[in-house]
Amino acid sequence: MDHFPSNWGRPRNDAIDQYATYPIHSRPKDSFAEGVQRTQQPIVTGTSVLAFKFKDGIMMAADTLASYGSLARFKDVQRLHAVGNHTVVGAGGDMSDFQYIQNLLEQLIVDEISAQDHHTLSPAEIHEYLSQVMYARRSKIDPLWNSLLVGGFKDGEKYQPSNPRRPLPLTVYLRFLAYVDLLGTTYSASTLATGYGAHIAQPLLRKAVESREEILTEEQALKIMEACMKVLFYRDARSLNKYQVATITKDGVKISDSKTLDTSWSFAENIRGYGAQTQ
Amino acid sequence: MTSIGTGYDLSASTYSPDGRIFQIEYAGKAVENSGTVIGLKVKDGIVLAVENLIHSKLLVPEANRRIQTVDRHIGLATAGFLADGRQIANRARDECASQRDLFSRGPELKTIVNRLGLYVQAYTLYSSVRPFGISTILGTVDKNGPSLHVIEPSGVSFGYHGAAIGKGRQLAKTELEKLKLSELSMSEAVLEAARIIYLVHEDAKEKDFELEVSWIGPESNFTHVHVPNELYKEACTKAKAALETFD
Amino acid sequence: MPGSMVAMTQPVQQSFNPYTENGGTILAIAGSDFSVIAGDTRQSEGYSIQTRYAPKVFRLTDKAVLAVNGFAADGNMFVKKVKQRLEWYRHAHAKDMPIRAIARLIQTMLYARRFFPYYVYNILGGIEEDGTGAVYSFDPVGSYERETCRAAGAAQSLVQPFLDNQIYFKNQTPAAGTQFPQHLPLTSVLPLVIDSFTSATERHIEVGDGLEIYVVVASGSTSLQGLQNLRGVQEVTGTTDGERVFVIRRELKKD
Repeated sequence: MDHFPSNWGRPRNDAIDQYATYPIHSRPKDSFAEGVQRTQQPIVTGTSVLAFKFKDGIMMAADTLASYGSLARFKDVQRLHAVGNHTVVGAGGDMSDFQYIQNLLEQLIVDEISAQDHHTLSPAEIHEYLSQVMYARRSKIDPLWNSLLVGGFKDGEKYQPSNPRRPLPLTVYLRFLAYVDLLGTTYSASTLATGYGAHIAQPLLRKAVESREEILTEEQALKIMEACMKVLFYRDARSLNKYQVATITKDGVKISDSKTLDTSWSFAENIRGYGAQTQ
Repeated sequence: MTSIGTGYDLSASTYSPDGRIFQIEYAGKAVENSGTVIGLKVKDGIVLAVENLIHSKLLVPEANRRIQTVDRHIGLATAGFLADGRQIANRARDECASQRDLFSRGPELKTIVNRLGLYVQAYTLYSSVRPFGISTILGTVDKNGPSLHVIEPSGVSFGYHGAAIGKGRQLAKTELEKLKLSELSMSEAVLEAARIIYLVHEDAKEKDFELEVSWIGPESNFTHVHVPNELYKEACTKAKAALETFD
Repeated sequence: MPGSMVAMTQPVQQSFNPYTENGGTILAIAGSDFSVIAGDTRQSEGYSIQTRYAPKVFRLTDKAVLAVNGFAADGNMFVKKVKQRLEWYRHAHAKDMPIRAIARLIQTMLYARRFFPYYVYNILGGIEEDGTGAVYSFDPVGSYERETCRAAGAAQSLVQPFLDNQIYFKNQTPAAGTQFPQHLPLTSVLPLVIDSFTSATERHIEVGDGLEIYVVVASGSTSLQGLQNLRGVQEVTGTTDGERVFVIRRELKKD
């Protein structure tokens, strides 16, 4: 037991040692003196993000809930973020860290505009940037507590070999979909899901999408997405029946207004221990 | 040049007996030697135009721009030393970035102009540095509508409806004054700007030049970009045609 | 005692773990004048398959191929940094770094992070300057040796004994008057590699989906025949003279 009150630490007010009368070597410690606090756990969190490839691009969805533990704290938070004209980043995990990431990306895009070099960041470049940021932060043991999906559609340029002196850009559209998380782990697949969705929705998505990436229309894709979001709302206790869908195609990014899921709970009456029964 | 030989013009940190700082005035000369730059604040936007004098035929067209973007919605054009123009643009970008960092929204031009003014002015205080050899026109459109400012080598800045700096500024100002700026549409302003640049170039006909025009407003989705190709070409043709009928 | 007070009053926080395991298995086998480096393409965390295609084997030069296994984020970063160092070497010396130098470089790079290691097992395969096939294997902090064959990763414990038996002929006795060969031909090695992975796929949940086998062949090697008309083979050689690099891609079970 430390019997010296001056070593017990104190808040930042000057209740103790008001006039700094202690000799320097035994000056009372500030309770913040231990150094910077790093994120040890997420506080306000978003749940799953889903995304997959379809014929004309990428579709991504996330509900609009930001939870505080088990409390449904903020019910109208947008977790899909457009970056430039070809990319969407969807985030699960800590929402304050996500807002910080949004600021980083915003400045990244402004810098890119300012360069005026006719280059715009492709989804792959944005994903690489995010992976480097996430990995660097985990390596400082100060992670950004998120799972992110990056989806995009970008015109890659191929030069026409017929006239190399004045190459006309031949537009090649490329779909891009990849994941990165707080550890800096990355991967890519035609269907992706973060958090709880990785367990509940990913198998459904794989069944519905794999090998049909070149066939699925936007309407079909939307149906699949809605079905998955519905299952997630039924099964994930940290989810909400309000969600947004982003579609990224050659025409750019489109993020929908929030949609409401039509769910039915009548079956619940027959479940014992739930609802109106008394025994 | 009454200043020459008096010894009062050797340092930016020395006044002359009649209260002038000659180094700043010399910096003004560097601006006067440069191709003309104009800025128009019109009904719902900003148009910047530059007479980019081409000092070598070997230069790649459009590769050495004098109009720069410092933030999504802020454009900057300089007259004077090109290198100083780059420096001021980079400083402006840093200022914008730090404002964004602090407030998470696009910076107000007024703040940026003030801070750049302080920066430029600092180079008029010391014998170890030279003042900026540029005047800078900055334009933006934000929630308060369009605004246009000029920063001079002394660090002083003013807001304008229409601004002109560089060699042909006198004629350009006269032409700008004839316009009803507050009634012009963006595309009309682009045509007028091009016409004025072509007009003032008449005095330096022997030199080649490249017209550069950018805008900020509803047509550009409130971002600062160079005007689209068709409009640019139309502006050039009409400007040339106007020269024929002038005077 | 100032220390104990802190321990008693501070709430115990579950601290952030900067590592995870992403499954998968890699192996490499050296022949007399070739080297085979292979890995499956599944990336997983816990019971979840993250993706069915995440390469773990990378061509570094025309004479060196690196397989990395363990924590995928560290693995990708490590490969990126090794490739960068090899590019700098190329700029400085106008040639590719020899494989034994790459091996030492990898040791140095791994040991530099001795107190915050890259959580990856590396296996480097390729052709030595004397034209022989080489395999170097590393632990996460840089301890390494040259071997004839090595398996690493999730199914190391399944595959390595098999290779010991089939490559080193451990627990086998030669027929009277004969000797076991020092090196096996490519035509014997490839089936062993494929069998290793199909077996590991059967018995290990973290192995499967796809198989990528890199084959580095010394110039003028007889192993070239029979390689080119193999199913699913693709040449990825960078230069025209010297060693040649091939990839063979196969499906593995996805369950």
